[in-house]
Amino acid sequence: MITDFPTAPLDPPGPADREADLAALGGPAMIGREVRRTPFPVITKEDVLHMLLSLRQDPAKTVDAFAESYRDYVGAAFALPTASGTASLHMALVGAGVEPGDEVVVPAFTFIATAQAVVAAHAVPVFVDIDPRTYCMDPAAAAAAVTDRTRAVMPVHVHGLPADMPALRRLCDERGLALVEDASHAHSARIGDHTAGSIGDTAGQSLMADKNFPLGGEGGIAFFASAEAHARAVDYLARHGIDYRMAPIAAAFGASQLERLPYYDRVRARNAAVLGDALRQTGLFEPPHVPEGHVHAYNMYRIGLRPERIGLDDLPVHAVKQAVHELLVAEGVPAREWQNTPIPCHLPFRHRDGFGGGYPFSLNPGAVRDHRPEDFPNTLAMLESTLVLCRELRSPVEYERVLRYGEAFAKVAARPDAIRKLAAGGDCPPPHRRAARLG
Amino acid sequence: MEPFDTAVVLTRVMTSGTVMSIEKADRELPGLERLLARQCGRPHVSLVNSSTAAVHAAVAGQGLGHGDRVDATGLDEPTVAFLAWLGITAGDGPVPFDRVRLTPENAGRLRELAAEATAPALVVDLCDLGFGPAAAVVTADETAWARAERLKIFGAFDLRTMWTQEESNPGLVPGVQFNYRLSPLVAACIRVALNQARASRGGSPRASEATAASGAAR
Ligand SMILES: Cc1ncc(COP(=O)(O)O)c(C=O)c1O
Repeated sequence: MITDFPTAPLDPPGPADREADLAALGGPAMIGREVRRTPFPVITKEDVLHMLLSLRQDPAKTVDAFAESYRDYVGAAFALPTASGTASLHMALVGAGVEPGDEVVVPAFTFIATAQAVVAAHAVPVFVDIDPRTYCMDPAAAAAAVTDRTRAVMPVHVHGLPADMPALRRLCDERGLALVEDASHAHSARIGDHTAGSIGDTAGQSLMADKNFPLGGEGGIAFFASAEAHARAVDYLARHGIDYRMAPIAAAFGASQLERLPYYDRVRARNAAVLGDALRQTGLFEPPHVPEGHVHAYNMYRIGLRPERIGLDDLPVHAVKQAVHELLVAEGVPAREWQNTPIPCHLPFRHRDGFGGGYPFSLNPGAVRDHRPEDFPNTLAMLESTLVLCRELRSPVEYERVLRYGEAFAKVAARPDAIRKLAAGGDCPPPHRRAARLG
Repeated sequence: MEPFDTAVVLTRVMTSGTVMSIEKADRELPGLERLLARQCGRPHVSLVNSSTAAVHAAVAGQGLGHGDRVDATGLDEPTVAFLAWLGITAGDGPVPFDRVRLTPENAGRLRELAAEATAPALVVDLCDLGFGPAAAVVTADETAWARAERLKIFGAFDLRTMWTQEESNPGLVPGVQFNYRLSPLVAACIRVALNQARASRGGSPRASEATAASGAAR
């Protein structure tokens, strides 16, 4: 039987683990090869039973019941379940009144789907830089990008931290724009009492199985604050013959997962706190910044590097990052870059062929720019000086594993000599000089 | 459709822990692709999450896009509307695809139905099998298949290299890109349904496909 049940238990780390030599130099890895798999999502007997029962139900009912219960959880007024997060963003834009040729302000740092959803709506994405601490859309940069043809501003709650929605709301109200959330990383994330997905005029959210709140495969959901916005999206699908329906099997799985979402959220929050405490003691590493009143969902956990704190400030920070990355991976920590260049520098936004013949960019030539990575200095600085953990803090990760991740960061930070040797020795172009990666 | 077998296959996939389409360990999507390729007699299959996604993938695969014309004779109204949304209008032009709509009644005859198709792409609509929106584009043209695959996963070459924007062949990277990925659990159910439909017509499914639980042995 093929199963995802762990093959061996992990022991808690002891003092000898940290004192051992670096795995890259021949020492024992903090997390051994045989125990490196991070299973996700949690799948239980409840999920199986629920899915089997759903096979006896009208498929539309299964999807509608799921969408209604999740809408209620988020606190949005209206919901439209979709086949993917990308489809949900498309519908959020349409619901917000975005028309062909309109400009939509999006962050230069996100998953490419955010900007592709704008193209799907036959509109033109206008890219702006991020805030250097939150990594979310910089409201001042967004304000500077607004023109007469801007219809909407679409911030992304990057990695699960809500963007500065109060500032963006003020901007949108002043300029008569719609505020559309990309809440794909931000299930259960909040500002005060408001859950991501219910804060903008409309929102889209991915529910694919690698997100904090997973469906049984692919899925997404759009949220709308008004009946008019919801109706615009529904009419659009009918008018253009587009099938964006969610699969009932995926929805059935989501219905039982939703009951456990608060549990998952608590596990992630606890693990983020444990790892954050460990990182703060290393000097070199810094946990993500969370502004007062915001609840971070930690779909991803982006760790900052501060080479100056361990005497490595004479080296380029991206070289330190690459060296640290190598050392961490050798210890069994699946750290990643998660992107290496701003989205406008990916092929589809350099060539701008769109649906063919340059449509819809051709509708609004004044909105398009030939961007260089350097146009987005905060994004570049982040890409050069941070590393990311993805699934690693999520249930069912073992507590022992989270402790071992913390120890691995400490073990690496304690060896500036080894970091220096690697960083100074290798050929190391900045991340954005390499081929663009989707994730 | 035998409900016991569907129950077994869903339980088996969930036990494997692999429910994500971009998971390297997934075997359901490649399994369904192989089955459709064999039955349709064409080597390349792109699985997608709806019939409109298949229409999009079929035309994009042939390099048809905004501003192009196709022979829309015989296409239903929603399909013509969808093509118009893509910027493709009815007129003098190629027949862009043939379409087979599978139902529990005709699923056992896919091989015959596919044999009648003459257009460069065959859209196999799997929605009416009862597992939700799903479809496939089947073709003999490798480039058309590669374009369709890239349309459905943001320019990535295939599900396994999802995270690399290959620039070695930029001509294949579509301008607009979607997430049209099909879920493995849906693919698993469709595979069972197609195998059973064939078996009940007296066809002889390969031993490895005969029963829902067979995947457990691989
Ligand atoms: C920020 C962001 N937006 C949109 C999407 C698209 O969602 P999906 O893959 O479900 O289409 C994703 C993710 O995968 C994402 O990370």
